[in-house]
This record gives sequence, structure tokens and C-alpha cells, in this order.
Amino acid sequence: MSSYSTDRRSLLRIIGSIGATCAFPFASEDLYGQTPDHEHKPAETPLPHFLNERDFKTISRIADLIIPETDTPGAIGAGVPDYIDSLIARNTDHQLVVADGLRWLDAQGGKPFPELSEGQQLAILEPLCAAYDANSDNRARNVQFFGLIKNLTADGYYTSRIGLMDELRYQGNKILASYPECR
Amino acid sequence: MQNKLYDVVVVGSGAGGGTLSARLASLGADVLVLEGGPSINTFTDFNTHGLPFEFPFRHVPLMRAGKPGFDGERSRGLGGKTQLWNAVSLRFSQRDFKGRDHDGAGENWPVDYADIAPYYDRVELEVGVCGNYDHLEDLPDGIFLPPAPFKCTDLAIKQGAATLGVKVIHVRKATLTRKSATRPACHYCGNCMSGCDVAAKYNSYNVHMLPASRAGKLTMQPNSIVYDLPVNDEARVKEVRYFDRETRAEGVARGRVVVVACACAQSVALLLMSKSSRFPNGLANSSGELGKNFIPHITAGFEVFLEDFIGKPPTDDQGFLDHAYIPSFMHTAKREYARSFGVQFNYQNHRMAGWARSVPGMGKAYKEAVKARYPAYMVFTGYHEMLPNAESYIDIDSDDLDSYGLPKPRRFWKLGESDRKLHADMVRWCGAILDASKARIHWAATQPVTNHEVGGCRMGDDPKTSVLDKFCCAHDVPNLYVVDASAFPSSSEKNPTLTIMALASRAADHIADRLQKREV
Repeated sequence: MSSYSTDRRSLLRIIGSIGATCAFPFASEDLYGQTPDHEHKPAETPLPHFLNERDFKTISRIADLIIPETDTPGAIGAGVPDYIDSLIARNTDHQLVVADGLRWLDAQGGKPFPELSEGQQLAILEPLCAAYDANSDNRARNVQFFGLIKNLTADGYYTSRIGLMDELRYQGNKILASYPECR
Repeated sequence: MQNKLYDVVVVGSGAGGGTLSARLASLGADVLVLEGGPSINTFTDFNTHGLPFEFPFRHVPLMRAGKPGFDGERSRGLGGKTQLWNAVSLRFSQRDFKGRDHDGAGENWPVDYADIAPYYDRVELEVGVCGNYDHLEDLPDGIFLPPAPFKCTDLAIKQGAATLGVKVIHVRKATLTRKSATRPACHYCGNCMSGCDVAAKYNSYNVHMLPASRAGKLTMQPNSIVYDLPVNDEARVKEVRYFDRETRAEGVARGRVVVVACACAQSVALLLMSKSSRFPNGLANSSGELGKNFIPHITAGFEVFLEDFIGKPPTDDQGFLDHAYIPSFMHTAKREYARSFGVQFNYQNHRMAGWARSVPGMGKAYKEAVKARYPAYMVFTGYHEMLPNAESYIDIDSDDLDSYGLPKPRRFWKLGESDRKLHADMVRWCGAILDASKARIHWAATQPVTNHEVGGCRMGDDPKTSVLDKFCCAHDVPNLYVVDASAFPSSSEKNPTLTIMALASRAADHIADRLQKREV
């Protein structure tokens, strides 16, 4: 398989990097136009949470089981529960699915979900995950609940700085002098 | 100023309106461009380089905070869709212009390739198109800047397609691979469709209209939503009625010639709205053909993972989105349908990985699976032509008004038997090419989906079966032109914009000639 050469003599020459954290380093604005957006403030999580503390903990735990910590942080480490909360707060359909799902979860282990052992938690979630993978249109409310939390977790994680830059290692959004030949 | 008589009033400032108005201005005509949307500063107003985690709800807004937006279907902003397009610039071939002669179905254009070729040349020189000289009969070469190199992932498709005898070529785009006197070369950040903030990618505002306006012959008037084109006793458009997008104050513009260039469905809607005792069914619609013959591009999309790239280290291969193209190859084969298809692929942006949610599983294995697939992800979309039919048309819904109180255009489309066979064959070929390229299909569209809008105001030699003549001038109204893809009698499978621009440039010459002869 071919790949891009990292040889210093290759055509690839990265001459700058763009973004809120790295202002355009060398060219005058009227030459290149990439004016840094000084007005823009990085997004802050809206607080307080929409979910109550107990439900937030449950959702956080589920998210962290879907995307756990490895050599990079997991869902909780990447702030995904805040993202999930902010989307649930804006969507009444989500709120109904989550309310039903949390009620169903409470009836499973005899105690609050976060207090169950990891093995017990996975024993509850993995069948839902399998059912959702088999058919994402599955109408069972608990399967819908799992599917919703998984989707929001994936969306939230891979749009976070940790998920996109550290885990996936997104390389784009740079200023290249020329496009490298594939070698 | 309201009562000034311009030589030409142009409604819409995208590819068609921008090209035409700049050409006319360069020939000395006094041109007013009315744009429904706001003024845009390409260099400072877009969130071109935004990343999702910098914004609330992880959504990168198109425009920066406090900047005017592209708001809704009718009002877009100076430059129109060229601010956001992907810049694919393909010449139509003689087969595309004479589809009926070639396939025995659909319509011929009232022009030949040789009629349009000089205008393709002109437009390519004006905007800068990169591409490779491939010497293909069905995809004529233009005047090209050097192509951008293939991505490594393109080569996987190229090799796979070659085993089936299918050719992959360098894409042709109106994006500079070498700097010009006024524009820098592309820097390959990969965010082309979020507003190119250096104008290395063509947009009609920076490349066509702004230089013409600085030269003094072109006036841009944004925030002016045109809603009526009344005619006089001689069946000529006598004025252009608009209102201000923000204040709703009404205004009138006058021109010897009026050009409608609002994009396909919106242009049709404006003409349908412009009813009069002379044209009770819509302006220039004595044929009853206005809105008919709607023939959008039909697509079949795939999301795939290239096996050879799963688990490889990610690279910066964003480029200017797609660098390759699969041109039509079935048009010369024995087949059970009319027309053909081409394939655009690898035009995704890796800023988002929305596909991750549909990777199965959970836990560490899931997280590893997403990471491994990230460098291998690609979109792959076949585009085909459809034939006109009675059930595919555009109209306006007087009961469904937009926020300005104007009726919204409605699109109706249905594939005929030949189109369905073509679609099925395209899906089969896409699957075969992907299979030969060791690409695992992650997701595939289950239904045909429309893309580029074409038709509704077609040109032709017969005023009974067409709305426009071969110069895009209305048969019924001698000082009215329409220059966008609504004028196309057939759509080709190729992207429409370069042909819109060539027709617009040709219409500009026609208008200038008639102005000089005092015909209008």
C-alpha cells in the first residue's frame, strides 16, 4: 500500500495551521485572507444540567461504557455527558425516550445503575447494543434508548477536541504549499 | 437612482448572473445586479476553518457570529451557490447536447458542442480550471491548470476500476492549483464547501462581479428580493419589482434587458409569479412549458471503508475534497436505457466523523473500530441523467408562503422506466467498482436522491415546446433572458455549472450585440 512520504524533500510542505488556537503565522491578511476570528469564544457548556444529578450520572456511565478510556480519555474524560445533556434539553422526543429508558434501567439491577458492578452494567447494555446493531429501527423502547445514547455519545465524542484531534488524529485544516503526490 | 435606466438588470448573482454581468460590463454595458441575499465578504465572513468543538452543540455555523447569513432558498447572498459549491467544472460533449440523436429519447439542444466550445474556453480562462488533458471524446478537454495529484485513496479506486476496464481521471475544478495575478493557489485545507476564504476556489463575487464593479460598469445591489416582472403592451419586461430583504421597502429597477439567473427552481418560480393579462400562466409561458421538463441529477450514494487503509496512520489528505472522477463509460455500450452516469467520490471532509455512530458495537472494540476506519472512510456517489416526463415538474404553491410572503417552489419528480434501468445499472456498477477496489460498504442509499437541479425553462428552436431560444432569450419576451440550469433541455450526467457559465457568457455577447443594434 502506498502512503504519503514524510521525507523532508517531498513536496509536502506544511506552512501553517489554522484555527482558534493557532493564528495564521506568516502571511499578511490581505494576501491570504484567513483572518483569525477574534470575536469568537470557544464554546462553553451550558449549565446547569437539564438532567438531574442521578440521571446525569447514569447517562455518563452508559456513555463511558460505550466509549471507555484507552490510551485516550473516554466519553466522560472528553466531556461527552455535557453534550448529551445539552441535546436532550433541546429535544422533547429525546426526553421521552430517555425518561422511559431510565425507568426501565432502574427496574433491572435492584439498585441505581451506576452502583452496579461493571459486569452487571454490561450484562444489561450489551443485549440492547446487539439488538440495536441488528436493527436500528427496533421499536422496543429500551433498544431505542440505548441507540439514542450511543448516537449522542459517538457524535459528542468524535466532535470533541479529544475525540477528533487526539483519538482520530485529524490532520486537515492546514495550509499546504502544494498537494503531495502519493508515493 | 431608482429611475435610472440600465442597459441590463440581472436578477441573481451566482454562476450564471455573475459570469454574464461581468462580461456585459466588460463590453461597456451598464449593468445592475439584484441579489436577494446579503453582501458577503468571502475573506472574513465564513467559518471556513472552524472545528466542531469550538462551537455550541458542536455545530460549525456557516457564517461567523454577527455576519449576514445565506438565508433560505430564495435569498442566498452575493455570489450565490458559488460561495459554497465544490467547483467541479466539466464540459458537456456533443453527445450531451444531442442526446436524442444519440439515444433516440429525450431532447436535443438547439446548439452543438462547437457553438459552446469558445465560451467554455473563455470561462475557463476567466475562472481558472485545473484538470488533466485526458483526450476523451465524451468529456472534452478544456484549457487547464495542472491537476491536483490523486490522493492515495483515489489510487485504490483507480486500480480497482481498471480491473473492470473503467477509467478514473483527475477531477476538473474551478480551483486554482497555481496562483493567478489576483488569487492565491489552493492551500488544500479541505474546507472548500464552507466558503473558500481565499477565493482560490472560484466564486462569482470575487472573481467576476467585484473586479467589474471596481471598473465602474457593474452595480451590485444586495438584499433586493425580486417578486414581479411586469410586461408592457409589446410583451417586453418594463421593470423589475423588488423589496428590501430587511425593511420590506418596495423598489423598482429598469433595464433595457432583464436577465433572470436565480438558480433553476427559483427562476421558474419568479416567472410563474409574474402573471399578467398578457401572460396569465406566468411570464414567457405561452407554450405552457414553463416549469415542465424538470430533470435533476439523480444520485446513488455509498459510504465505504477501503480495506487497504483500515488501521493505517491518518494523513492530511483533505486536499480540495475530491481529486478524481469516473467519467461516463456506458454511453458507448449496448444497454437497455438512454443516457449514462458518472461517479464522484472521495469528496468528504474529515472534520466530522458522523458515520461513527453507525459502526456496530460498544466499548473498547467499538472505539478501536472507529479509529481504524477513520483513514479508510470515503463517500462514493454515482450521478445519472434522467429523461423529461410529464410527472416531473416545478410549480409554486400559493398556499405555502415563505417568510417574505412569496409562494414556495415545489419540485415533483418521478423516474421513468429507462431512468430506473439506468439507476439500477449505475448502482450495480458502483458496487462492482467498490468491490474491485476492496471497499467495504458501510452504508448505501436505498432510494434515488436528486442533486443538481436542471430544467423547467428549457431552450429550443420551437416556441411551442420550449421557453427560451438558443441564446437563452425568451421566445415570448424579446428583452428577457434566463441563464441558469433551468435552460438545459437535457442534464447530462456531468455537473452543470461550467455549462451554465458558458451559456451565460454566450447570452452576454448576444445581449451586447442586440444592445448595439438597438434591438432592445
